[in-house]
Amino acid sequence: MILHPPVLALLMGSLLASFMVVYASWYAIAVLRDWEITSGSELQLSLERQTYLISTLVGYTFVFQLLSLFLFVFIADDLSRLFVGAMCAAGTLNVNAYGYPALILKMINFILAGAWLVLNYVDNKAYDYPLIKTKYLLLLLITPVMLVETAALFLYFLNLHPDIITSCCSNIFSAGASGSGDGGLAITGGSRPTIFFALMGLNLMLGLYVFLTRGQGAYLFAAMSCGAFVVSLIALISVFSLYFYELPTHHCPFCILQGAYGYVGYPLYLALFGGVVTGIGTGVVAPARKFKSLAGIVPVVQGRLALASVVCCALFTGIVIIAMMTSNLIMEG
Amino acid sequence: MIQLRDIKKVFNAGRPNEFTALYGVSLDIDGGGLTVLKGPSGSGKTTLLSILGCMARPTAGRIRFKDLELTSLPERFLAATRRQSFGFIFQQLNLIKGITALDNVMLPAYPNGEKRSRIEARALALLDAFSLKHKAAANVEWLSGGEAQRVAIARALINDPDVIIADEPTAHLDSKLSLEFMETMQRLKLQGRTILIASHDPIAYDAPCVDRVIEMRDGVVIDENESA
Repeated sequence: MILHPPVLALLMGSLLASFMVVYASWYAIAVLRDWEITSGSELQLSLERQTYLISTLVGYTFVFQLLSLFLFVFIADDLSRLFVGAMCAAGTLNVNAYGYPALILKMINFILAGAWLVLNYVDNKAYDYPLIKTKYLLLLLITPVMLVETAALFLYFLNLHPDIITSCCSNIFSAGASGSGDGGLAITGGSRPTIFFALMGLNLMLGLYVFLTRGQGAYLFAAMSCGAFVVSLIALISVFSLYFYELPTHHCPFCILQGAYGYVGYPLYLALFGGVVTGIGTGVVAPARKFKSLAGIVPVVQGRLALASVVCCALFTGIVIIAMMTSNLIMEG
Repeated sequence: MIQLRDIKKVFNAGRPNEFTALYGVSLDIDGGGLTVLKGPSGSGKTTLLSILGCMARPTAGRIRFKDLELTSLPERFLAATRRQSFGFIFQQLNLIKGITALDNVMLPAYPNGEKRSRIEARALALLDAFSLKHKAAANVEWLSGGEAQRVAIARALINDPDVIIADEPTAHLDSKLSLEFMETMQRLKLQGRTILIASHDPIAYDAPCVDRVIEMRDGVVIDENESA
């Protein structure tokens, strides 16, 4: 293991977050089993009081979870200088078999934690806890994924040995890469970004519609946000990365996080992940419109989430358009 | 207007010094009346009043106020209900020394986010109603006992609450001031407010304006009397 302060901070943070969600899950089981709002029993009143503490704890834990994705990628990028062959996070993550699974788990948990935070925010706006069982059920689903993520992080960092020779990103993500331990991540270059721009255009229009109508079409927008997220990620790797690097063969999604490229990857990924979480959020809270105490609140929240998602999508699209327009790379044919 | 069902309050639950202040109290209090909770020290009057006024939560039981279930309300909703619907007059008055009578009266209205000028106009009108307008700029520590109490009443009324809660309001007053206090309560009752007083002072519970006396002992209601 490499005793690097950010690594220790991430591991300690993940361990603490796992402890928090396990503790909260114990309470979540009690809520799902015993919550009865019409009852005036000691147990019910005790659960009502505890929910403040638990939801606050989980809220802070999940905010850490959101930030830790970027910390993890930053660490992977920063450690690349210690490994022969690694040029960026792509190489560091490829040092052992746990790097990419840990990254994928962190991405999944980012979206799940974001959805939980949206649900919790809406629930806290009501006076009668209408979403309490839903949010604690979601917590019970997130907990095992977070525990697996923490295990993957520990396995990854405990098995980081500086004497390992790893593959650099040009091997892993370049066009025509022939599986040098990359697990099939190589992407064929030259794809046209037409699908991306068409989907983003539709996504922006639908997002504005959801914003203006205060939540109409939220389910479709949530689904489209997921689709836009996947397409954006693929388009970034297969097409837009070429413009950032000004190389027709370099498709690395991590080098853009480095100073040489103005750290443009951070706002890009922030917009990408922010867009998908807020977009999904409009759909996650949509069923809550049926509750009397939330009937006036949910449409407002959905409108704000849709606007935030639109801003994130526009930011992502704007950055890649600027990169395409200002890049010295000209793709023809 | 106010409905209490099986209210139980345990302090320090599960510890060696556990103490049960209320044992399953159930009551229905109609709006617009003056009710006195009577009983010796330790009978649970103050605990019941603080639970009724959303200042404490019961260990078990439910309270309905109008159409609202109070005991399950999350804290910020409870605080808003407390501020808007209940006015408090404390035994020790709890006026803040070092600031003026006017500022003391205005204080409970600040969290509502109203314009200061509107709060000030309302506070001055209240001080005027209690013949204290000339003392508005005086610090509360300079006021006499009677004046200080009227400032405390004005402060309880600043948010125009439906319910006034007074805990042993006459405990530190002489008979003349106690009678004056009960006359003020009568005036407030005639305005349609619901008055709840905890007291073991006969001047309070025997006053002609009292509609109902609820006698408590050892955390339970032992007797109820409705005035004719």
